[in-house]
Amino acid sequence: MSAVTKFKPRYRADTAEIGLIDWDKLPPMSAEWVNALRTRAQLSVIETGMPTAKLERWKYTNLNAKLKKMSLRYHEAELDLSGMTDYAYSFSKGMLHCPEWVREMLEAEAPSNNKYGDMMLWQAANAYLKDGFIVDVPADKKTTSALEVTQTGRDGHYIVPRQIIRVGENAEMTIIEYQSGSRSYWANIVSQIKIEKNATLRHYRFQENSDESVITHNTHIEMEEGANYEAFTITTGAGLSRNQIHADLKGENIICRLNGVNMLDGSEIADTTITVEHQEPNCESYQDYRSVATDKAVGTFQGKIHVHQIAQKTDGYQMAKSLLLSSQATMNTKPELEIYADDVKCSHGATAGRLDEDALFYLRARGIPEKQARNLLIQAFVNEVIEGVTDKNVREQANLIVSKWLDQSDANSSAEWLE
Amino acid sequence: MIEIKNLHAEIDGNEILKGLDLTIGDGEVHAIMGPNGAGKSTLSYVLAGRDGYEVTDGSAELDGVDILEMEPDERAAAGLFLAFQYPVEIPGVQMTTFLKTALNAVRKARDEEELDAIGLLKLMKSKCKELGISDDMMKRAVNVGFSGGEKKRNEVLQMAMLEPKFAVLDETDSGLDIDALRIVADGVNALRAQNRSFLVITHYQRLLDYIKPDKVHVLADGEIVKSGGPDLALELEKKGYAEFTKEAA
Ligand SMILES: Nc1ncnc2c1ncn2[C@@H]1O[C@H](COP(=O)(O)OP(=O)(O)OP(=O)(O)O)[C@@H](O)[C@H]1O
Ligand SMILES: [Mg+2]
Repeated sequence: MSAVTKFKPRYRADTAEIGLIDWDKLPPMSAEWVNALRTRAQLSVIETGMPTAKLERWKYTNLNAKLKKMSLRYHEAELDLSGMTDYAYSFSKGMLHCPEWVREMLEAEAPSNNKYGDMMLWQAANAYLKDGFIVDVPADKKTTSALEVTQTGRDGHYIVPRQIIRVGENAEMTIIEYQSGSRSYWANIVSQIKIEKNATLRHYRFQENSDESVITHNTHIEMEEGANYEAFTITTGAGLSRNQIHADLKGENIICRLNGVNMLDGSEIADTTITVEHQEPNCESYQDYRSVATDKAVGTFQGKIHVHQIAQKTDGYQMAKSLLLSSQATMNTKPELEIYADDVKCSHGATAGRLDEDALFYLRARGIPEKQARNLLIQAFVNEVIEGVTDKNVREQANLIVSKWLDQSDANSSAEWLE
Repeated sequence: MIEIKNLHAEIDGNEILKGLDLTIGDGEVHAIMGPNGAGKSTLSYVLAGRDGYEVTDGSAELDGVDILEMEPDERAAAGLFLAFQYPVEIPGVQMTTFLKTALNAVRKARDEEELDAIGLLKLMKSKCKELGISDDMMKRAVNVGFSGGEKKRNEVLQMAMLEPKFAVLDETDSGLDIDALRIVADGVNALRAQNRSFLVITHYQRLLDYIKPDKVHVLADGEIVKSGGPDLALELEKKGYAEFTKEAA
């Protein structure tokens, strides 16, 4: 009676094999600590399985249902680094020789795992640790052009690329990621980002994955005093995407922006789950998302601002607006504020609506045909976030993606408008 | 020339226009006056093709073409313009983008050459100047944060740019200060032409001092109940609508 095993009814260990595809076929790695880390992670996945809808932060998104239908083999990720590559290098065939700071980051506990017990995807990624890239910008280095990372998914591939990024004190860096691919693949990505004192990182992601793909992307940002992080992600695809971001604000006077646009059609599922931890006073954080959903697409936004007791004068902002263009599109929004300090300014808001009929009529009364009028209004809606992006090229590229999406979804769902 | 015959229209099953007849010849300006709730704005929306207004009988022809079957944008291309009683605010759509898109959509539909950015800017600037609208306003979102008077002026600006054959002005004078009223009236007068007709909906005789109408009509309870010359407006100013509303009751 005394040695009762811990009962974990929420876990579905029978889904473990989904997260460990071809794990036993991986060649052995040489560094002892890497092997140990991988094995620990593998055992953890065997115990917990993949996240199920019973978990609090997974209740809207059924990952396993999707993954179970796919037939996948593990492959190294196809990554291409271009542009400002001076401080970046990709690695493959395991982490043979890696600097101490990288080892520390890799061995760190997955963020918020002890609170939610739902970081199985992170563990699954740790079980591979075979390929990815490292960026290490030295202190005071202010780069003027962007590092561009292109990731291409191939039919039938399960890829697990790791990103490890450190921006040294007073340094400045821009990283642009392009994700795309064809047919059915799963990318389970972990990004670990450290922004040191007074450093700046602008981080842009263009996610144009295929309709059949699954993207699970965990991003953990650790920021020191005076650091500045600007993230903007535009997602037009993946059959299912889960963009989970956890930001730890560990010093004063930090500014952290986590913004994005989701444009969903068909039966796409896109889930954005964010936690911002205000651990010190005088920091600002912003979460600003716009989602457009048509056909039978399902969008989810779960955003949390956690203000610790010590974090006075916190300025936390969260806004998630969505536009539903068809009667069958769905948007789940769950804003959360957890505030333990008394002198803070936090706001959150969420709206879900349809296109403004009065505005539409006004435009049409001026001679603008219906589709064009709708597109103008949709563009205006997502532009509320796009116009805030610092990098002009990224703004332009994002606008192009929006136009392209509008053209395609025009073609696909024009019948729906006649309802 | 616009010819409206026996027009019946309902909103949510309530008949608002009850057999309205109106003919406006080329180059003419007609005014419509009438009590609140008579159906004046309804007439303007029915002509412009707003959703929710069901035409149950009658016709409306612009130069011999029935417009009631057309989409709102097709009506605009065919030469109809409605200056809204309550112009709509459209956050995120810049005035310049809006005007360019509208003008080129209409030009394209009319088989005219589309304007490039420079051509548009030139045209916009000159029209803004005429109407006393600052260029800065063109960088702002459509009607967002515009004062009541600015919104009305903006309607006239759009009319000037789109060069309609037939313009309906729904209370474009309300909310305007004395100087703005004159500027807007001058703007309308500048557009008066052989091949362009106007329907001016107003509550105030004063506007008609500036924009001299050829005819004045009284619209009450969904019908034109009286028509006359400019003097009719003066008469209404004195007597009010009592005689017409009693009739309707
Ligand atoms: N959606 C609606 N459902 C039912 N009745 C409506 C609706 N919209 C308008 N009406 C009614 O139609 C009638 C005509 O309205 P309309 O706006 O055309 O009047 P108007 O002559 O323009 O008045 P005003 O001088 O106040 O602008 C009014 O009685 C109004 O309440
Ligand atoms: Mg009215």
